Amino acid sequence: MSGNENDTNLVDRCRQGNDEAWRELVDRFGQKIYSVAYHFTLKREDAEELSQEIFLKIFENLHRYDGGFPLIAWIVSLSRNLCIDRYRRSKREKSFRFVSDDAVAPMLTSGDDPAAEVIRRERAKMLFAALSEIPEDLAEILVLRDLDGLAYEEIGRALELPNGTVKSRLFRARAEVARKIRERHESSGPGAFATLAVAAGAFV
Amino acid sequence: MSCQELERLFVTGASDLEGRVHAESCPACAAADRDQQSVRRLLSGLRPPAASSVLREAFLTIPARTVDCESAGFLIAAAVEEEVEPANRRRLVFHLSRCKACAEASETLGTARELVAPQPAPWFAGRMAASTSPKPQPVPRVGWRWLLNPKGAIAFAYAAALILMLTGFNPADLARKARTELPQEAKVVVAGAESTLADRAGAWGERVLRAGLIVRSRAFGYGRAALSNVVQLVLKSEPAPARGRPTSGGEKSAPSKNESTIETWRA
Repeated sequence: MSGNENDTNLVDRCRQGNDEAWRELVDRFGQKIYSVAYHFTLKREDAEELSQEIFLKIFENLHRYDGGFPLIAWIVSLSRNLCIDRYRRSKREKSFRFVSDDAVAPMLTSGDDPAAEVIRRERAKMLFAALSEIPEDLAEILVLRDLDGLAYEEIGRALELPNGTVKSRLFRARAEVARKIRERHESSGPGAFATLAVAAGAFV
Repeated sequence: MSCQELERLFVTGASDLEGRVHAESCPACAAADRDQQSVRRLLSGLRPPAASSVLREAFLTIPARTVDCESAGFLIAAAVEEEVEPANRRRLVFHLSRCKACAEASETLGTARELVAPQPAPWFAGRMAASTSPKPQPVPRVGWRWLLNPKGAIAFAYAAALILMLTGFNPADLARKARTELPQEAKVVVAGAESTLADRAGAWGERVLRAGLIVRSRAFGYGRAALSNVVQLVLKSEPAPARGRPTSGGEKSAPSKNESTIETWRA
């Protein structure tokens, strides 16, 4: 049985009210959906609310899934639409978004070296600040690929883009993020950024 | 500025080694390649945020909280007939609060039900009373009202008579025709009835004539007497000439010629 047939079978069982099937769907996609929501909101409470909304939407629209492409692509597409709606509602807030320590903390692995931990936190904040400054269509592909770990084909299905376009945008997104970090370094002076850059092993 | 070759190799799916080989020979692409690798390293150092177990439990309860649009359609139809269990009703209400399309469908069905059992508006009773009060009779459309007009009636009668005359209709012909068509016994009866009627009419006419004559004779008699009296009174009122009558009262004077005439006539 192929992946799509598995997905279709899972969706059919969910539609029939099978609790086990729904549990399987939650276990397969729950973490990824929460991750997508968190990378978009960078707030735990907002991400939990948004991910619940995404699951509600998934459940209410299961009859729309026809098995033509991977279920994860359909779910990501639905999630993205909800995230965009949320973004439109709070666009002003997002444009002045300040990336806090708490925002990046859930994405960092704790280590024994406090200094290294500080550097990792600052690098993460710098990264998300740069992501908020590049065009939306580039940033979302970078997040889906490098943070959420989706395949090119899944991203292409979710965003209705050909693979070549996905790869091209990903390449340009990385270049733009690097450029933004470099610009920030040049405007703030070499002192603080040099330490981070050396820690990151790049940019300088 | 990169020569775009590095991007082309990346898009076409070339290996990292091929890209690195090109970057070694192209200084612009070498910087771009460093940027790409640096950003990838930055991102790879981050792990996905972990969803809490409480959130997972919330995900698992979603089927008990809402329904999909397909099931909502059946529940909406059942809800119109009040045949939905409380649990399903809660799920439906929750779904309708989120789904505009289903809410619209539900509202439309509810409206249709209201159409089956409409509630009268506050002003309905007043309008009903006004509509049941007596109204002036409508004017009949049939054009016979002109017959009520005397001129119209006369004109109609003349027209009818003219038509009868022109067609040669004579009512006497009807009587004659009817008489000729009667059987012999009927003719005898009719003749008897007619004679009886004629006799009665003649007797009545004779009585009337006699009574008229009596009245006339009496009227003439009384009239003549009245006329004579009037003439006498007129003649008597004239002054009589004085003739050698005695002046003493003991002696009865002889009546005049006129007096003796009246007494004679009275006798």
